[in-house]
Amino acid sequence: MSGALDGTLVLDATASFWASLGTGQLADFSARVIRLEGISSTIDSAALATPAHNELANRNKQSVRFDITRPEGRRAFEQLVAKADVFAIDAPVASAEEQRLDYKTLAALKQDLIYARATGFGPEGPGRDLLALDELAAARTGLMPVLPQPGQPPVYSGAGQVYSSVMLALGVMLALWHRDETGEGQVVDASLFAGNMYGASLDIQAFLAIGGERFLQPVSRLDAGNPMSGTLYPTSDGLWVTLTMPDTDRWWPGLAAVTGLDEHDACFDSHEKRCETYRLELIGALEESFQKKSAAHWREVIAERGLSADVIEAYSYAASDEQVLANNFIIEQSGSKALGFPLYMSETPATLRSPAPEPGEHTEAILREFGLA
Amino acid sequence: MLPLEGIRVIDLTVWFQGPVAGQHLADFGAEVIHVERPQGGDLGRGVRTIKAVPVGDWNQYFLVINRNKKSLAVDLNKPAGREIMAKLVRESDVFLTNVGEDNLAKWELTYDSLREVNPRLVYALCSGYGQFGAKNKPSFDMTVQALTGIMARLGEPGQPPIYLGMGSGDAVGGLMCALGVMLALQHRRKTGRGQLVNASLYGAQLFLAAPTLQAYLATGDESFAKQQSRSDAPNPLWNTYAAHDAWLFVCATNTDEEWSTLCQTFDDDALAWDARFDSAEKRAGNRELVAELDDRIGQRSASEWTERWRAAGIPCAPIDNLAALAQDQQAWANDYFLKTHCEEVNREVTVRGLPIGLSKTPGSVRSLGPELGQHTEELLVDTLGYSWEDIGSLKEQGAIL
Repeated sequence: MSGALDGTLVLDATASFWASLGTGQLADFSARVIRLEGISSTIDSAALATPAHNELANRNKQSVRFDITRPEGRRAFEQLVAKADVFAIDAPVASAEEQRLDYKTLAALKQDLIYARATGFGPEGPGRDLLALDELAAARTGLMPVLPQPGQPPVYSGAGQVYSSVMLALGVMLALWHRDETGEGQVVDASLFAGNMYGASLDIQAFLAIGGERFLQPVSRLDAGNPMSGTLYPTSDGLWVTLTMPDTDRWWPGLAAVTGLDEHDACFDSHEKRCETYRLELIGALEESFQKKSAAHWREVIAERGLSADVIEAYSYAASDEQVLANNFIIEQSGSKALGFPLYMSETPATLRSPAPEPGEHTEAILREFGLA
Repeated sequence: MLPLEGIRVIDLTVWFQGPVAGQHLADFGAEVIHVERPQGGDLGRGVRTIKAVPVGDWNQYFLVINRNKKSLAVDLNKPAGREIMAKLVRESDVFLTNVGEDNLAKWELTYDSLREVNPRLVYALCSGYGQFGAKNKPSFDMTVQALTGIMARLGEPGQPPIYLGMGSGDAVGGLMCALGVMLALQHRRKTGRGQLVNASLYGAQLFLAAPTLQAYLATGDESFAKQQSRSDAPNPLWNTYAAHDAWLFVCATNTDEEWSTLCQTFDDDALAWDARFDSAEKRAGNRELVAELDDRIGQRSASEWTERWRAAGIPCAPIDNLAALAQDQQAWANDYFLKTHCEEVNREVTVRGLPIGLSKTPGSVRSLGPELGQHTEELLVDTLGYSWEDIGSLKEQGAIL
């Protein structure tokens, strides 16, 4: 079976988890990705610089180490660039320039090169040289204060950088498409700030259009706009159930049946009453009802009735969920479990071809193969 | 010039995950045709409130994720409507959908039937739970996020789990789908054949949890799966703290050197000499240290701390709210926000901009979401070759709006 990116050569000078995860998605779909060690250095939190993170972000890649400060290293590097389709880098823009790794210098070696740049806050503006740390980008995105319940500390999830990594991969694909249509290369930009903002799209867009305190302060779960949608209710054994039933007319009979509420209760017999007039009363009634039974009970009745609800599970659930394993969302890699492939393609599926390389593992082989230096 | 000019996408999607996948393609110039039922259209058109706040005079929920698109209003329950779709499928590069399998079967729009009609077609599904397996239940952003485990590990111990924000799961599902479409188009360039792409909410949201889920999977260490108090931060120097007026994120590594630098920014030098904290090992996971830092940092304002810490070279940022973001020059300078004209209210509005930069072929916002059926006649006549008599008759039958 062929891969979607067979024959595409990516030189990967990234060091941070998110940027390497971006080129990693190209590697999963069979681009040939060669890591260039020692060009960028990671500033990630220690929590992201573990062997497990390296396995995920750098599997299916090869690794070379050239000393580009020495003439022979630089020459080998430049010969490789001349054969590459994509060059990816997450060093700060100023440092890339100092090392003569900027777009202009490299495009002189390969005129239609795609130069994929991973930054913290984008290539323009007063913050263009700020450190590329997901925590700092998340802090600036405006959502951390409103995620928790009122009075609680702001919440950092780490998810923002994952949007950014997919954006880096998508940006490269768009640029490859354009290059193959026209012969023109260009710079692709993805940033932690943009990814974090994208993850917060609906809140941001609603605030821009409507404004108001409700988007600036946490909203209590007991003050939800729709008692049946986006809500959390505790079970008798300390877990939580969440409901997403925006069109309450459709779901109310089923929900009333399993929670023991009266479907025809005059307080709750229309969407307007459920979501406006008696909104807080319905939240209270559901709160009381869900607390009476265990999570196991709720799992069962939700499944039986096909309700749009679920128990909020821990990582152990997905790790052994048959649905997850059937889809290769989680796989075996290097003797332990690892995140697999979120995207399915029928003709060119993602594959695990090799574990993450040791830094510099393929230097000799690639020098020979490409006849460098 | 836009990179995807000449690519035609049938966008039979509703709500957010499917439409936003189409939005990425439309932003970069694909002709994206949002196919909607004549009665009311995409359910997203019906959004009246966000967080119980009325959306105001323009429905930004629908209009922004469907920007740069055309609208074709066609009743797929009618044979003439299905015929229009069959013709459009022959003329298109991509079929993108997030409607349920039962409807796709009823409307003869399954992958197996469309690949017969157009072998070059890229068929992209935004699904709930993936291509394989038995799980077949309603799938929404938050209920699927609940299964991934990421919600359960956030928040202070004993607090309710935390949702990553409205649309957070749909956003990654849709983005993944757009990536899949581009991979499939690139493959088609070489082989001439389309294929099936399936980007699920479940798979994409598990990936979204990668920073901690990958560590959990590899090590089995339950601490990655559980709520962790900020008082128990593994490195107290890399943590959130409350200044007297706002919260801050400080990101110093746990080395003696950075510790010493941080200590010099405090008004007293007691911490620098405190034997409880005089090695990286002693500082790691030390609740007493978090408490000491809480005390000190709480005495001054966020701007005083950021000024001192930046001068000392310690990475930090105030934890902003959306009001600060809306004014953020950095977001504006990079086109992460844009201003555009909104037909519905006939004035300029601010919208989410372009998170992916392409230096020579940047995306753009050329129009906000279309009116229901705004392009039906144009598409039928110019693209599919229907006559004006045909259009009259299709309208009479109720096959189009």
